[in-house]
Amino acid sequence: MKRLLVVLIVLGLIAGCASSANRRSLKDLPDYNFSVEIPDGWFKPKYEKRYLITKEAKATLLYVFIQQRPLDRSFKNTQKKLSTRMLPLESAGLILDELSSDRRIMSFEVLENTPAIIDGHAGFKILFTHKSKTGFKYKTLYYGFINGDSFYNIRYSAGMPDYYDKGIEDFKQILDSFKLAEG
Amino acid sequence: MKSTQRMKYLAFIISVLCMTAACATPPPISVDEALTAAEEEKLLWRQAQEEQQVLDDSGWLYRDAESETYLNEVAAKLKAFTDSPDISFNIKIINDPHLNAFAFPNGVIYVHTGVLARMENEAQLAALLAHEMSHCTQRHALRLLKSLKDRPAHIAALQHALEKMAMIQGLARILGVNGSMAAVSGYTREFEAEADRVGLDLMAKAGYDPKQALNLFEHLRQEIESEGIKEPYFFGSHPSVQQRIENAGLWLDTQYSGGDAGIKDSTIFRSRLNRLILDNARLDLRIGRFMVAQKGVEKYLRLNPNDAGAHYLLGEIFRQHGRQGDIKTAIRQYQEAIKLDPLFPEPHKAMGLTYFKEGERHLAQKFFESCLLLSPDAPDKAYIQGYLQRCIKNGEDS
Repeated sequence: MKRLLVVLIVLGLIAGCASSANRRSLKDLPDYNFSVEIPDGWFKPKYEKRYLITKEAKATLLYVFIQQRPLDRSFKNTQKKLSTRMLPLESAGLILDELSSDRRIMSFEVLENTPAIIDGHAGFKILFTHKSKTGFKYKTLYYGFINGDSFYNIRYSAGMPDYYDKGIEDFKQILDSFKLAEG
Repeated sequence: MKSTQRMKYLAFIISVLCMTAACATPPPISVDEALTAAEEEKLLWRQAQEEQQVLDDSGWLYRDAESETYLNEVAAKLKAFTDSPDISFNIKIINDPHLNAFAFPNGVIYVHTGVLARMENEAQLAALLAHEMSHCTQRHALRLLKSLKDRPAHIAALQHALEKMAMIQGLARILGVNGSMAAVSGYTREFEAEADRVGLDLMAKAGYDPKQALNLFEHLRQEIESEGIKEPYFFGSHPSVQQRIENAGLWLDTQYSGGDAGIKDSTIFRSRLNRLILDNARLDLRIGRFMVAQKGVEKYLRLNPNDAGAHYLLGEIFRQHGRQGDIKTAIRQYQEAIKLDPLFPEPHKAMGLTYFKEGERHLAQKFFESCLLLSPDAPDKAYIQGYLQRCIKNGEDS
């Protein structure tokens, strides 16, 4: 009986751990007010202070980056500011201005720029490619929307073509699971 | 070279360069050093070529044969008066609104659209090119490299200089050692002064009015001050431009007695670089420098008052700036663009967006429809279709 009890407790603990692993909100990054489900095999590199998850030892090859930024925070390359009055087409335009003015992004090419709904919020989706200095090509899916005083963006970026294909299905799951915290 | 090693080397070079700005002129290369110098120069050129390859493949070059040919024609006029027949100059344009130009030791010179768009005539272009070409003819990169070897004391200043390096690290990683040295820090104060003197001599010998060099640098300084421009680049930095003004002033006072007879060539300059001024204004808008962008479009419109694209761009500048009264001005510019070219879809879209946000759904619908009719395959048509649907639904509901 005692043995059965121990087994049941252990099973219960395992089940509890598994469910909390499936839906990990950002408890280690308390300033954020969103949550996502992290698929198996993905992890957050220890050196990263930002919300960046990957499934590769070298994170730059394939990663998902989620950011909540105040609307009044300046961008690096453009002096333009996002505002609550902006339509998704306009906020997408500003993000494209920022990216295309970034001198670290080479051979920047937009493949798609369309409206998107993220967690019920009207936003945009931009698909673009760029090259690193060494000529390595990356493809990035950039989703963004404005809610309240914040601009949220969820990006999936990976090396072309192998790494991109390797993580895209997981990214769709992550994006679908994205939720802003209540209130 | 591995990238970490390369970065360390780059950090070292730039840091030392920052510190050498206030030091004495490095010694000239003696005759018995010539053989080693030739080897080192070959190495320097090879490295420069690698760095240029990165720039050329970056997608940042302004690909306009007319402008590039013109710049190379002016450089060829200047080259005829240099004593460096071994250097083949090649001028390339970078699509960048910041104020800059820089030379690699092998004669390849990059000029930003930003600095070209602020010039008024060919003599000002000759002044900038002559300055950059002088860095090559005077072997500044090689002389600097050699002088650094003899100055281990500079390393002590590394710590302080690295703080400055952090500000330009991203840029430096792309530009490489030579590019960063030329574009960002400049080649020590003395070499820059030498490039000023030799450059002014060169442009005067080629028949250009050297007073235009002073006018150009004064103009850049005024712009830096009035627009509060803060750029990491050499020609976008107030102290560097101030130094150019002082050096040019001194040279004109003491070395020049040519009066006003030199070539200026405003007409040819404007006709050849006309389009570049508008393209650069678009870049200024992209980085949110609304006033600078507006000045650029207005400069272009003075020569091309019936250009629909320029009126549309001016409308965009006002709409995006969004100060009180700007929307009305934007609408006037869009209307002018549509009047000049009724088949140009962009101002239709902009009018639609403006009215949509103002709550004038009926007017917005009209312009969204005309935009889609004129440009059924517009890359952003999914947005327009969505806004159009909302206008139609709004009409049905009310």
